[in-house]
Amino acid sequence: MSRPVFSSEGLTLGAGLVALGVLWTLANLGRIDLLSAVRTWWPLLLVLWGVLELVDLALRRSSRRS
Amino acid sequence: MSARKIGFLILILGFGAAVETSWSIRESRVFFGPEGCRVLGGRFYGPSFTFEETMEAPLPEGEIPRVEVRNEFGDVVVATGEGPGLRVRLRKVVYQPTEEKAREFASGIELRLDSDGERLRVGTNRDEVGRGRHVGFETHLEVTAPPAVTVDVRNEHGAVEVRGVAGAKVRTSFGDTRIEDVTGAVSLETRHGAVHAEKLGAALTIDARHGDVTLGGVAGSADLKVEHGSVTARGTAGLSARVSFGGFTAEGVGGDLTVRSSHGAVSAADVTGRADAETSFAGIELRRVGKDARTKSQHGAVVASAIGGAFTAQTSHGRVELERVEGPVEVRVENGAVEARSLRKGALLRASGGDVSIDGFEGPIDVAVERGDVRLLTSAPIVESLSASATGGGIRLEVPAGSRFELEAESRHGELHMGLPGSETIAADAGGRSRATATVGGGGAQARVIADGDVAIEPHSPALAEAP
Repeated sequence: MSRPVFSSEGLTLGAGLVALGVLWTLANLGRIDLLSAVRTWWPLLLVLWGVLELVDLALRRSSRRS
Repeated sequence: MSARKIGFLILILGFGAAVETSWSIRESRVFFGPEGCRVLGGRFYGPSFTFEETMEAPLPEGEIPRVEVRNEFGDVVVATGEGPGLRVRLRKVVYQPTEEKAREFASGIELRLDSDGERLRVGTNRDEVGRGRHVGFETHLEVTAPPAVTVDVRNEHGAVEVRGVAGAKVRTSFGDTRIEDVTGAVSLETRHGAVHAEKLGAALTIDARHGDVTLGGVAGSADLKVEHGSVTARGTAGLSARVSFGGFTAEGVGGDLTVRSSHGAVSAADVTGRADAETSFAGIELRRVGKDARTKSQHGAVVASAIGGAFTAQTSHGRVELERVEGPVEVRVENGAVEARSLRKGALLRASGGDVSIDGFEGPIDVAVERGDVRLLTSAPIVESLSASATGGGIRLEVPAGSRFELEAESRHGELHMGLPGSETIAADAGGRSRATATVGGGGAQARVIADGDVAIEPHSPALAEAP
């Protein structure tokens, strides 16, 4: 079994932390409602993770062919 | 899918669930109590407004008029007053942010008085009002009735107080109960609340959980079942109690006392009849019992004094102390000592793991001890049979003047000291056994004293007997 090109969980977690930090900061600045924003956008973490898994799978297949 | 991915999926979903729950709470989609208030411990908290309503009704025909009171959230007070009929005051406490809202809601709460010819029912329409409405409200009922009525009260969340009626039956769930000056029978069933009953003229039955019970001045017999609460009774007639996880104290029982307790101490004084007490993991104390007394304890001490009849005790892992028992005594102790004074009609004592001491006795004595010493002192002449044995211990017997018995004494591995005149000691045999015989006062009853350790038989010395 070929090694993954990158860690999809790591990338998702990192992106999620960055997003949470940005939203929290915006909430502290009074620009947004943190809870409402997180509640609206948190499912994107699942979307991002799924996309990264697909990309990882495609990259591994292409590397096996070459 | 690897374990790592499954774990990560659970992490994301858990995060999402926490966010969704927080949002639902903030948006009031999850309720912790009715509108404008919180419910803690079965009570409403928050801004409230009070409104009152009063009604009167004639009592049903009959020798003993019956009144039923039903309530859920709120106190119930039943007291006697002048006039032939019933007077009910309803106090409505509505938990709403504004008085206007509270008044509008309270206008729908009504007092209901229904009679079926035999009994008069007192209640409210709170079931209809509260249905589908998320509003907290209490209905407090104050019933004034003639002294001849008997009442049947059921309440869920609130205190109940009944005074001066001819009989009472009360059932509550969350709240204290107080019953006073009731001439007829009283029956109480309570959960999560203290019970106070005083000046009752007839029989009393109590089934209580999670609350202390206090009784005073009960002229009829009392039957108690109390769990997770203590019982304190003063001035009652015959008393029967089953108590678990709580102490029991009774003073002035004008009849027989029966206590079955577990995980709680039992203490009773001034019982005119018989006393029968059992408990576990705690001690029993009986003082001034007019007739026979019996105790059984596991892992607890037994203390008894001034017992007018026979006394029986059985215990383990605790000592037994007796003083002034007029009847025969039977005590069986495992891993505990026995200390007795003034036994008037003899004793049968079996003990292990502790010493046995009797200071002052009359009547036949039969003592057997394992892993302990025996000490027998008395100022009254010994004229009845006496048997004392100590396995793994010694025996000391003091013989007062005027005693008459045939003595046989033996020490298996210790020294045998015979201080009585006319006694004959046989020197230790090859096995280290010493024996002695004596005829005291011309002979009479048999006295056998046998011990593994030292045996000392001396003339009675008042100074020694009085020593602690």
